[in-house]
Amino acid sequence: MSLIQCTNITKRYGSTLALDNVSLTLEAGAPIALIGPNGAGKTTLFSLLCGFLRASSGDALIMGHQAGSKALHGRLAALPQDANLDPRFSIGHQLELFAKLQGFIGSKAGNEVKRVLQQVDLSNTYDMKPEALSHGMRKRILLAQALMGSPELILLDEPTAGLDPPNVKVMRSLINDASKNATFIISSHNLDELEKVCQSVVHLDKGHLKGVVDIHQARNSGYLTVVMAELKTTDQDIRESLLSLPGVTAVSFNAPNRFVLEYDSKQHSNLDMLLMQHLSEKGWPYRQLVNGRTLEDQVYF
Amino acid sequence: MFIIARYELSRLIMTRRGLLSLLAFSLVWFLILRYPIYSAAQFFMADAPGGIIVSFFNSTIINNLLSWQVPELAVLWVIALYLFPVFCVVLTADQTASDRARGTLRLLSLRAGRDTIFFGRFLGQLLILLMLTLLALLSAVALVLMRDSTLLQPSLHLSAIILVNMMLVLLPYTALMAWVSSMARSARQATMYAVIIWIVCSMLTGWLSRQFPGLSILDMVLPGAQVQSLLQLSGWNTLSLAAIPVIQTIVLLFLGRVIMQRSDW
Repeated sequence: MSLIQCTNITKRYGSTLALDNVSLTLEAGAPIALIGPNGAGKTTLFSLLCGFLRASSGDALIMGHQAGSKALHGRLAALPQDANLDPRFSIGHQLELFAKLQGFIGSKAGNEVKRVLQQVDLSNTYDMKPEALSHGMRKRILLAQALMGSPELILLDEPTAGLDPPNVKVMRSLINDASKNATFIISSHNLDELEKVCQSVVHLDKGHLKGVVDIHQARNSGYLTVVMAELKTTDQDIRESLLSLPGVTAVSFNAPNRFVLEYDSKQHSNLDMLLMQHLSEKGWPYRQLVNGRTLEDQVYF
Repeated sequence: MFIIARYELSRLIMTRRGLLSLLAFSLVWFLILRYPIYSAAQFFMADAPGGIIVSFFNSTIINNLLSWQVPELAVLWVIALYLFPVFCVVLTADQTASDRARGTLRLLSLRAGRDTIFFGRFLGQLLILLMLTLLALLSAVALVLMRDSTLLQPSLHLSAIILVNMMLVLLPYTALMAWVSSMARSARQATMYAVIIWIVCSMLTGWLSRQFPGLSILDMVLPGAQVQSLLQLSGWNTLSLAAIPVIQTIVLLFLGRVIMQRSDW
């Protein structure tokens, strides 16, 4: 049985088509990224899987059950992008309600809340109101509610949106730790972050499924990415020079000073050494050399 | 469902807004108790059978109220019948509205079904209203006992009748607010919806029953429709009208449930 099986899902908001006939099968395991530009349908798909929205047509099965069905309570957890706790109650009081609804009885509910708050390193917030916390801390509290019990699937919608780098790092570390026990699906614009955490990518664009990519498999199949320091040489000259290297079939230029070399990795497995030597001979300093392509290059270029 | 209902009760006693509502209700009720109820009861007691009140008003309602053994509770009954629905609408307006706008309902729905949330909240509001009605009745009974301690038993008996009837009267108002709250994104918006629905329905039913006299049953569509008739009854006979609010509640809850089930969160 697949973790998620979507069959011909369509979702309309009035005359706007948010998802168009999306069919998708995902298996349990390493974290999965859900990416796409604004308006691609990420949050709509996320909300459909959580049962917040009803599909206009099509079926979404999660662990064999219809999305939103009672059988998924406690097995599917989520951090919705715009969800907030009630500002009138303390965090502990609200999380205890969630724990009780998930079947924790009496003092076990309180203990579970303390456990997840400790997990996100916010034990001291038990008696605090949500409004007293920073944005980053509130996100971690929302992650804590998603970690309650033992969910098998955890969906996170933009978990790092609006967070400062230290909080992003904390969030990444929390997800890495928790992903040993549950499958994460993370929707985000932050491709660098997703690349560090996820194994595969679901790519949506304008409501259509563009594809499901295995990041690591795609990354190692004959690509080198080199980020150059500021140079006076034109990008065109650098590109032509790189194309002259043996085995290089294409050089693309997708961002300032960043070149992606496509090459025959079977015949020219030592291209990275040749490239460094070539750059040294030309006197072109480089900042970064990556074996493969970034997630951004894989899905958008 | 009971976990959610109990949680609603904590909204009244654990939040600043809830405590302020409780304080406001207590103060208003104290004033009602001290002046209208106390004074009117004195007036009722001073008036002999067939006295000035009956001769002046000469209505079935007044005659019925004068027959109550505890006049304080007779006055409370009339005031509560007209005032408590207003409290009820204000207190129960935000059953799901602000939680929907804030996204808290999404977090709840990952752990409880939509029906559980909807009916749990409705039940919770009824518990709050039950508590407030009990508070009002107990304070009135205390007032009665201060005047005449031998009236404990009739006071408790009448209080039980009033309590059951008040809860029946408040049922459809709470259900109405559950329905409109399921469409709104704030308590204020829910109250506005309720006012609009109320005005449109009363105009429509009034016009229809004038045009088609056979449809006079339409007068019973709105919550509180039975209140006038209720004032003419006494004792447990009042329950003869219980079917009206119960049916209204079932219809309103059905409408609210449909919205809750179909809406996107």
